[in-house]
Amino acid sequence: MKREGGMVIYLKAGSELRNRLNPDVDYYTRRVVTQPGKTIREILVDLGINPGLVAFGYTRGRLVRLDHVPKDGEIITLKPPVSGG
Amino acid sequence: MANGLAGTTLRIDLRNGEIKRFPTDESLYRNWHGGRGIIAKILYDEVPRDADPLGEENILILNAGIMSGSFIPAGSKVSFGSISPLTNGHGDSNMGGHLGPMLKFAGYDMVIFEGISPHPVYLYIDNEKVELRDASKYWGMKSLECEARLKKDLGEDFEIATIGPAGENGVLFSCITHDFGRQAGRTGQGAVMGSKKLKAIAIRGNRSLHVHDLKGLRKQVKGIIERTKVHPNMEPWQKYGTSFFMRWSNDNAVLPAYNFRTTYYPDVDKIDGDQLVEKCLITHKACFGCWMNCGKYTKAVIPGKPEVHLEGPEYETGSTCGSNLGMKDINHVAYINWLVDELGMDSMSSGGVIAFAMECFERGLITEKDLEGHTLKWGSVDDVEHFLDMVVNKRGIGEWFAQGTKRAAEKIGRGSEKFAMQVKGQELSGYDGRWAPGMLLSYMTADIGAHHNRSWTITVDIAEGREKVEGRAKIVVYLQHIRPLFDTWCICRLFWGELDITHEELVESLNYITGWGVSVEETLRISEKIWNLNRCHYIERNRANGRFFDYPPARSWEDKIPDGPGKGKGLTKEQIEKMLDEYYDARGWDRQGNPTREVLEDLGIGYAADNLEKLGFLGKPIPGGIPPVRGEKYKPKAF
Amino acid sequence: MRIKVNRNKCTGCRLCLQICAIEHFQEINPKKAALRIEAKFPDPGRFRPYVCTQCGKCAEVCPEEAIQENENGAYIVDKEKCTNCGECVQACPVGVVFQHPDLDYVIICDFCMECIGVCNTSALVPWEKAPKTLTKEV
Repeated sequence: MKREGGMVIYLKAGSELRNRLNPDVDYYTRRVVTQPGKTIREILVDLGINPGLVAFGYTRGRLVRLDHVPKDGEIITLKPPVSGG
Repeated sequence: MANGLAGTTLRIDLRNGEIKRFPTDESLYRNWHGGRGIIAKILYDEVPRDADPLGEENILILNAGIMSGSFIPAGSKVSFGSISPLTNGHGDSNMGGHLGPMLKFAGYDMVIFEGISPHPVYLYIDNEKVELRDASKYWGMKSLECEARLKKDLGEDFEIATIGPAGENGVLFSCITHDFGRQAGRTGQGAVMGSKKLKAIAIRGNRSLHVHDLKGLRKQVKGIIERTKVHPNMEPWQKYGTSFFMRWSNDNAVLPAYNFRTTYYPDVDKIDGDQLVEKCLITHKACFGCWMNCGKYTKAVIPGKPEVHLEGPEYETGSTCGSNLGMKDINHVAYINWLVDELGMDSMSSGGVIAFAMECFERGLITEKDLEGHTLKWGSVDDVEHFLDMVVNKRGIGEWFAQGTKRAAEKIGRGSEKFAMQVKGQELSGYDGRWAPGMLLSYMTADIGAHHNRSWTITVDIAEGREKVEGRAKIVVYLQHIRPLFDTWCICRLFWGELDITHEELVESLNYITGWGVSVEETLRISEKIWNLNRCHYIERNRANGRFFDYPPARSWEDKIPDGPGKGKGLTKEQIEKMLDEYYDARGWDRQGNPTREVLEDLGIGYAADNLEKLGFLGKPIPGGIPPVRGEKYKPKAF
Repeated sequence: MRIKVNRNKCTGCRLCLQICAIEHFQEINPKKAALRIEAKFPDPGRFRPYVCTQCGKCAEVCPEEAIQENENGAYIVDKEKCTNCGECVQACPVGVVFQHPDLDYVIICDFCMECIGVCNTSALVPWEKAPKTLTKEV
């Protein structure tokens, strides 16, 4: 669903990262209105989340880097770094 | 016993083959929780302070903890422990796979090995049948080769742990291998096992394990299964394991490259998780009772070499034997992983030793003549293979490197100590701490030398300020209590760290299993007690103030990160000293890094204070007293 | 209803073995399970679950007629009639009839489907329209 030239994506996160995401769709998921062409990194900065706290994105069964540009409606899991090991 | 314990402890005198069985002492588990905790207690009580780690007086302990095998998520681990020949202090290493649960299903909680066998043996356990069998036909075999052979000879349903030629030959960073690719890697447990002429352990059991409240445990575990099935982290974990981490580590300037010279590795895309899954994967592989299946069973295919199968490389091996050695092909990293697995050497320490040697070669401190006419260039698999052959067989200068980077640097001299990347004799695992002060402090103060399983703080460092050293110490102390708890319980901490299983839930599980009614606070106190006992033990064995041993290699403060996102970053010596001061204050130790009587008595181990006092290393009383609670749980600031 | 095995998805976690014994014996003991996991390492490097195919061979050979098919197609052991002679163990083409020293009867899958409930990789999934006449595992 577009809003005035923007677009909607869904970001999911668990553990500590989830607290920073402030989910509003379900326990893990936040609906984000953003501009087409922005990278995950830029979207995270817009949300006030330090991109260093995200190891990679995971969408449709594959790993994407933080310079991935989401499409409208895309659901992206934000994977935090491993807690060591 | 309906408390998660199998009921019998074995004590084996390898000198004469005597096998004694004792009822498992439940109070020992109540007070020390098992695994690393009981190992700490037994080593402290029984091993003479001047015992040679590779000599007759060292004790090797195999302990399956309190929760292994009990249907708890990832209840798969087992701990090996002995005085570490690398650090000359308490050493323990835990291992996933299926050995711990099988030990319990055979009816045993712990096996204690004393003395040295006159000839090679392996331990054979088949329920009540416990024998030391002649291992002469297996002695000399590589680890994975030996496991396959024992399974063929004894039965596929035996769980096997082996050492390789490295352990037999006393390479100090030798490991113990199991399940075709899981290791008790760190602290040189394989060298101790080899010094005892113990080649392998083979276990089969069909007994039932009884817990206090199976209904309650089952309901809890089923709930956790349902919850974690939809956890966002589950699928990426199942697909990539820890190998996905390489790129993040590089982007955030903590990936070790070229012997920790830099943290920027432009070729990381050639050796990361994507490459592993795309080019090498055969199957995902799980430990007992774990549905994260982070293990990746893979193949390494290099033209001119036979195809080999291995488990890995996971992040630690991918970094320490990948970017740290200048490798640019995932197959090469996998091949090196396979090599060290077969030879029976800890991959992290191996990576550290090889990288150190590569830098020595680059600087002309060792030459082709020293290397039997070979080179040791960054990125060369063939050079690594030849070098490891020299190390395992202790030929020429291989004998120096077989003792780890610390001792090798002492032999080579000429300033090489600066870039021997170790603390207390154990090589760093896969994180550079120059722009992650909490991580550096974690390495400096870990009881077993530079290992991250005690404390890992990189996201804290990123969130709180990577150049700020204040405030890290209390968090490191807290992590050093909670993370090693998993090594006492003998379960995998990745469920807690990655899938939001809370400490409270795990204590609930512990109580379903044991019926003890333990609290979260009590588990942290037990962990703190173990930590302090190991510190006292280390000081007593090494006869100097604790602070003396808590410094990182000089590269950590003399060399700033030269390029990449972390260019120019690094700590000063003054900042390192400041972090240590803050750490000791947080622990209730004096500024020399020695535990005080007040904190030891508070933890119920006042006898350790008496021992330190006799040697002149008891911590001086702290004006104002010790902190009432040591360690602080990290609470991130809101944005 | 049968259990379909997607063998390439098995990771060897053995949760299925654990829950089977817990469900039927209220004990933690993978050797009291009614299925088995074969691990072939280092070559080819794969796990393979073996589950009952409801072929009925066990019932055919039982000298005591202690094994009977129920309305769901599962073969149920009458614990009183079973003498633990092991004929069914030998006859099972998939090797999923088990004996255990604690028991005086054999263990055969009753298709309670608890194993499917804990399998997180879809190595074991429900198979509603499985053909009845198959004697070997697919």
